[in-house]
Amino acid sequence: MTTDVNQQRIVELTLLLLAAFITCATVAIAAVGDQVEITWRVAPYLAALLILWAVAHVTLRQRAPTANGILFPIAALLQGLGFALMVRIDPSLAARQTTWALIGVVGFFVVVVGIRGLHQLRIVRIPLGIAGVLLVFLPLISDSDPSDSEISLALQLGPLHVVPGELGKLLLIIFFAGWLADHRTQNTAEFWGETLRIEGDRSRFIPLLGGWLITSAVLIFQSDVGSAAVTFAVFISMWWVAVGRRTDLVLSLGAITATAVLAAVSVPELQNRLTAWIDPWSNPELGAAITRSSFALAGGGLTGTGPGAGNAEWVPGVTDHFAFVPVGEELGFFGAAAVISGYLLLAGMGLRIATKARREFDGVLAIGIAVFLGGQAWASVATTLRLLPPSAMSLPFISINGSALLTWNLALALLLKISETVPEASDQTTILPGIKLEAERQS
Amino acid sequence: MTRRILHIGVGLLVIYVLLFVQLELTQVVRADALRDHPQNIRGITMVFDAPRGSISTADGEIVAETVTVSGARPRLRQYPYGSLYAHLVGFISAEHGGGGLERSHNDFLAGDDLGVRIQDKRDFFVDRARTGQIKLSVRHDVQLVARAALAGHQGAAVVINPANGAVLAMWSAPHFNPNHLSSHDLVSVADDFVALKSDAEGPLVNRADAQLAEVNAIFTLVTAATAIEVGLSDFVAPQSDTVPTQTIKNDGNITCGGDMASLFITYCRTGWATIGLKLGGANLRAISERFGLTESISTDLGNQLDGLLQSGEEPLSAPHVAAGIGVKLSPLHVAHLLATVGNDGQRIRPHVVDQVQGHDGSVIRDFTPNNLGQVIAPDTALTLRRMLAENVERGNAQGLALKNVEVGGILASGFAEQPHVWAVALAPVTQPELAIAVLLEGDELSDPHAAETVVASITRSIIEAVLRLPSPNVEGTQ
Repeated sequence: MTTDVNQQRIVELTLLLLAAFITCATVAIAAVGDQVEITWRVAPYLAALLILWAVAHVTLRQRAPTANGILFPIAALLQGLGFALMVRIDPSLAARQTTWALIGVVGFFVVVVGIRGLHQLRIVRIPLGIAGVLLVFLPLISDSDPSDSEISLALQLGPLHVVPGELGKLLLIIFFAGWLADHRTQNTAEFWGETLRIEGDRSRFIPLLGGWLITSAVLIFQSDVGSAAVTFAVFISMWWVAVGRRTDLVLSLGAITATAVLAAVSVPELQNRLTAWIDPWSNPELGAAITRSSFALAGGGLTGTGPGAGNAEWVPGVTDHFAFVPVGEELGFFGAAAVISGYLLLAGMGLRIATKARREFDGVLAIGIAVFLGGQAWASVATTLRLLPPSAMSLPFISINGSALLTWNLALALLLKISETVPEASDQTTILPGIKLEAERQS
Repeated sequence: MTRRILHIGVGLLVIYVLLFVQLELTQVVRADALRDHPQNIRGITMVFDAPRGSISTADGEIVAETVTVSGARPRLRQYPYGSLYAHLVGFISAEHGGGGLERSHNDFLAGDDLGVRIQDKRDFFVDRARTGQIKLSVRHDVQLVARAALAGHQGAAVVINPANGAVLAMWSAPHFNPNHLSSHDLVSVADDFVALKSDAEGPLVNRADAQLAEVNAIFTLVTAATAIEVGLSDFVAPQSDTVPTQTIKNDGNITCGGDMASLFITYCRTGWATIGLKLGGANLRAISERFGLTESISTDLGNQLDGLLQSGEEPLSAPHVAAGIGVKLSPLHVAHLLATVGNDGQRIRPHVVDQVQGHDGSVIRDFTPNNLGQVIAPDTALTLRRMLAENVERGNAQGLALKNVEVGGILASGFAEQPHVWAVALAPVTQPELAIAVLLEGDELSDPHAAETVVASITRSIIEAVLRLPSPNVEGTQ
């Protein structure tokens, strides 16, 4: 280990200790509260979680010392809060969440250590893209029970609860970043000027068409407005940054609006959700989650009931799609605003990393991941606040939603990879003298 | 590229600002409205297993108490008198929320109210389970008589003490048994709750304050008050069987008229309509507002009383209102109106809870008479009481007469939409100790005369119980 620890890692360690303290304090406060079933049984799981954070931190120290030092502690804090609040509601989830946290850290490790350069991802973009499409539409192919009133896009593989949609979206983002990096030059606004023109290679419509098709399919077949909005936002943001032609932007926005309007008048399942959204009070079946989440949030008020003192288990899907409800109820407006700020900070940091990325592929990939993370968190919170119709959007890092935690760990690791400020290991010419100097000084 | 990344950043910021605004609206600005929302059963289901204060009547009968039991849940809420206080006290259930006082006074019962929580200095430092005991204004004997009197009928009865607004009895039928809803057998509770909710007769509805029925003759009391207050007490209606430009007819199309006292005891619709034309809608509305009939007033039951003075969507014309045609009120409102007349025009908010008491019986909250002001002059009230007494003596309401006590009252009926009959009374009319309103409804009221006899005998038996009169009076004038 080098004695010269990068500034970023010091920041990371400090913030990580703070996050660990907040997590332990929240679990402890919830445990002493009345009518709560947290016992010492959850202590090993909590310890395991903290050890996993330490493993991730050491991995970064060894393999990516110059990576951004703020991203990981924020994600860890969100995960810790999620653990404290969700496990209070259902103690049996502790084992499951810790298992997925372990798998998540393995994924994190594989990305940080296994991928020497991000260009490796670019090489395999086409298989990744195909896998992404398959994963996004896997829940549609497998038969699901339509009478189930709770919206769910998950698969049960043995003991593992797998939500393939999010992993699929991440793979599609990698594919799309590669595609844009390959094909953008002939069609960018820089090349054509930013005036409204339609000249250019017709092949430039392929990504827009692809994004539109996938979004429409999500909207029509899954009736999930939140998921469709996030998908479209990710595609259009990446495309806008890479290409940035206003004519095409107007065309695609028009196309997606038309699709949304058409779907709203012709897809019965979507209409059900829209009516339940507009008037949840007279629709007890689908509206129950919405009204109850509003009531629970209102019960939290400005300062919240305190960890463990809430009653959010009353809201259907509270550990998954409505995971923001216990956050708002038990931590109050202040705590909830802090958590939302955490997501905003993660997404903003992702955008900042994109501006400093050394290659187009890295930059566009960072944009995709940042918008994916920020958009998904936004959609999940917006659903509980009744800004969006009922959607199956889990809250990144907080929700107990099986494989989603793995997806977010992979995304986080990719962002950290992109944020590295020294040349990657494959380019050894600049890094070797530094090590030599180091060795000389020590001898 | 960097500039376009900035676009994305700004977009992200804008949608997140929306999130903060909506969060603020939900958790802070609209929080109170959401907490009091009728569908919000969160507060009461949260305390289902917690210690909870008892509820007892003015004469000391415990009507709701929490007992410790062995089993998965530590405590059970019990209602010793079953359905007798179902609509008043309400219920608390593990999954279906609560009703009545159990819900509206949940903060006191569960100890969430600060006054209940901090009962002595040590409570600042030691977190003990403190609950509030609720003392009702309702008298157990009167409530029992009200139930017995209304047995077999659909309807409601409300008895109020005019001097302080205390509700002495409030009974509504059909009813339900709250013990079935507070049970720990959640499957059977769910079945019962669904059955009660889907029952077309609405056993969960407290008819005493939620059922609006056309009041007809009862409203002429308000019209008379208006006429006296604006100086039209000497008005004499011409003998007639019609009113110009109106479709109002008398029973049997008879011709009638005369001074107000004679219009009152014969319920001469055309005469009242003529007075209404003369008074105008604004005057009638002003007095109705002062009596609290147009706005929604809330008792401490926690229920909103509204939808008064209504008939469909169209506003009523002054002659219709003056004759009480199409004017709908609840039994509680009618009793409240009578109580105001009986209290020399002083309007006092009706209440069912007298006190909230601490663990040692000390008074934490006292719901002292809530004086809402002088509605009409004491002289006007006196004149109205004289008219009521005369109505029982030789008018429409002779069925209400008792031997030892002078009673003033009105019998009214409506058979247009839903058949129903009303009886309202003040007794003793010279120095009223109670105001009573009884509403009967249902299909068995096909014969108006028989229905009025039934409602009058129900009213008489309740009056006797309240005044603790000896039983020979039961014969009345029949």
